[in-house]
Amino acid sequence: MKKKKSIIIAVSAASLLCLAIAVYSAILPKKTSVDFFSMNTYITVSAEGKDSPAACEEIQKLVNNLDSGVLSRQSEESEISAINSGGGKMSEGMRRYISDMLGIYEASEGAFDFALGSVSDLWGFGNEPHLPADAEIKAALKKSGAGKISINGDEIAANGAVIDFGAAGKGIALDEIKSLLNSMKIKNAVVSVGGSILLYGEKDFTVGIRNPEGNPGSYIMTVSTPAAFVSTSGSYEQNFEENGKIYHHILNPETGYPVQNELVSVTVVSDNGLASDALSTACFVLGAEKGMKFAEKYGCEVIFVDSDKKVTVSDGIKDSVKLTDNSYSFAE
Amino acid sequence: MDKKLFRKGDIAVIGIAALLAAAIFFFNSRGDEKKLAAEIRVAGEVIETVELSSLGEELIITPDTEPKVIIKAENGAIFFEDAECPDRLCVASGKLTRKGDTAVCLPAKTVITVLGADVDAVTY
Repeated sequence: MKKKKSIIIAVSAASLLCLAIAVYSAILPKKTSVDFFSMNTYITVSAEGKDSPAACEEIQKLVNNLDSGVLSRQSEESEISAINSGGGKMSEGMRRYISDMLGIYEASEGAFDFALGSVSDLWGFGNEPHLPADAEIKAALKKSGAGKISINGDEIAANGAVIDFGAAGKGIALDEIKSLLNSMKIKNAVVSVGGSILLYGEKDFTVGIRNPEGNPGSYIMTVSTPAAFVSTSGSYEQNFEENGKIYHHILNPETGYPVQNELVSVTVVSDNGLASDALSTACFVLGAEKGMKFAEKYGCEVIFVDSDKKVTVSDGIKDSVKLTDNSYSFAE
Repeated sequence: MDKKLFRKGDIAVIGIAALLAAAIFFFNSRGDEKKLAAEIRVAGEVIETVELSSLGEELIITPDTEPKVIIKAENGAIFFEDAECPDRLCVASGKLTRKGDTAVCLPAKTVITVLGADVDAVTY
């Protein structure tokens, strides 16, 4: 009799436990993830909240439309293709993007130049990269540069320069995604557009900074931050070797050749996607010293990694950065 | 008359059951920590999951992609062994051996990820 009662109690306790687990699972916020290819890169979305399945679906639509309809030079139907082939009236979104990018172009004294399309095409990055002839680079450079762009109200003329969103498009997409998430019931989300990250929600996030000598998922340090945008420009991305020399994709707007300085990567943490993306390129071109001052002017935090494996971090996030690879150290 | 809800024996049974559950949970979690598995995704769909830590012999995987890629898995590692894409950045990613390691072939829309990253994202 006693034995029977014990079994009944044990079974009842187990059933209650199962029920508690089921209830707990049901009230946990929904988590949904999706990954896809667009904007000529790899995109991952992980969202938590009641609307997370819809958010994943809407983000895919948003990014695909933004790419093919607005930002992509490869799409004949895009707004930027029309602008590059003669100019015309800008949409409200385009006016905002161009205006923000021109602001960064001017503030960085041309270090961030988004109208070098003719020059970058010669290098063939993302397709069949190769070293172009010097005369070709000089000729393309002559007709390039954001300084050639003229704007009159909603009208824009590129005047022969080719506008390219390669150094700001990922950030623009993340800004638009953030606006979309604001209109939905989403608790937390992490979106990566080719390594540029949107951290959305009220918790603290941990982001790895890529190991310049490793694969895109390996990292040498972590940075802990509340909701923010995090972008990195690195010379390890899209590079190639020719005649024993390595050429990377971050071009010096003055020479048309890859930037040659002490830096391997620059990471920018900002409350604006376009700024985080564009400033990571601008700070790479400017170098650590000038780049640090420039990021400060924009209220952004920045992490520089140089070829001697030294890491320089802006004061605002110094305590949030932890090295995880002991071959790297903080600069004195 | 004894009106106690639980007698000593009942508490002992519940206690043993709880200890057993905790032990099973603990050993299962420990096993997961050591396990290394990789996921191969093509255009957002998982086409194969490979248990790298228990792989006896080499495994060659050739997903149906254009351009073609050849993925090789061996004990503790997985990588793009060859690819017909122009820049071959996927091959240059090398061997993936740690949790979170990732290699991407953009033209073939193929991604290899070693499961179990311990950060929210990696910026690159």
